[in-house]
Amino acid sequence: MIEGKLVNLRAPEMGDLERNARWINDREVTQYLSMRYELSMAAEEAWMRDVTAKPLSYDRPFFAIETKDGEHIGNTNLFAVVPEDRKAKLGIMIGEKSCWSKGYGSDALRTLLRFAFDEMNLNRVELDVFAFNERAIAAYRKCGFVEEGRRRQALYRGGAYHDVLVMSVLRGELRP
Amino acid sequence: MIEGKLVNLRARETGDLDRMYRWINDGEVTRFLEMRYPISLAAEEAWIKSQVSTPASYADVRFAIETKDGVHIGGINFNEVSPEDRRARLGITIGETAYWSRGYGTDAMLTFVRFGFEEMNLHRIELTVHERNERARACYRKCGFAEEARMRQSRYVRGEYVDVMVMGILREEWEARQ
Repeated sequence: MIEGKLVNLRAPEMGDLERNARWINDREVTQYLSMRYELSMAAEEAWMRDVTAKPLSYDRPFFAIETKDGEHIGNTNLFAVVPEDRKAKLGIMIGEKSCWSKGYGSDALRTLLRFAFDEMNLNRVELDVFAFNERAIAAYRKCGFVEEGRRRQALYRGGAYHDVLVMSVLRGELRP
Repeated sequence: MIEGKLVNLRARETGDLDRMYRWINDGEVTRFLEMRYPISLAAEEAWIKSQVSTPASYADVRFAIETKDGVHIGGINFNEVSPEDRRARLGITIGETAYWSRGYGTDAMLTFVRFGFEEMNLHRIELTVHERNERARACYRKCGFAEEARMRQSRYVRGEYVDVMVMGILREEWEARQ
């Protein structure tokens, strides 16, 4: 278990299945994710079996986010990890909407970033965020992410094209 | 065959193997590519076999670049094609270094970008390029691509971290240039 101030990060478990399936089919949650189509319980279960079957590793740093009371509220992971460049992409979802805007996401971010820099020895963590996801962008900035640019009209959602921001935090830029 | 002014784009063929093997092991060529490790002839052959046995499609577009004399000088492709976003990511290699800086790459780009917008009906084409790859950046700007982002220290090459630029062109920008 990796301890933050408000949350802990732990390995995903099969017991997370129902919550994950609920979140990933909640349009309020997925409007900010690359996920577009509804996902069956069977497909989510197959994916969870795959994620939980192998130990987490440099190539598979995937975590469940828990409050200090042990309530599972979301997931966060690094992917596209490139050892030569010492970089990775970051993904995060707070699926439990009652936990939005309470600092859990920011604490999960900081905790994962500390792990990325201090344990995985990465130099750069990057992410893409939809320009209309203002709450997330504010949280990323607070943690030290810098806006590097804007991929114009790179996303089509809800009948319109939207920009996608490229953000990153380098080793040493993480804000406590 | 897709015709440009200086080059044509055609499907890759098994006969391209020797040249592609040579290019992919040429440090001058791969310096700015994702490719880092030497590739055996057998591995390159297996890759080409898989390329020529499946026709190019929306999700996997790749062509050989030929001069009008039929000299095979490089390759160009789209990957990460997203039909919902009508967006694709472009990659290009001019492997024959004797053909650098003579307009072939630019013509291949213009021909392929036209194909992306006019045949594949894309809305946006994007690419990434190393900040030090000045020749390529100038070519992309000439073709109408705008610099949209600078990914700091995104690649480690030849002993140092270098920034990588994100560049993109929108359909309306392409149309305005015609």
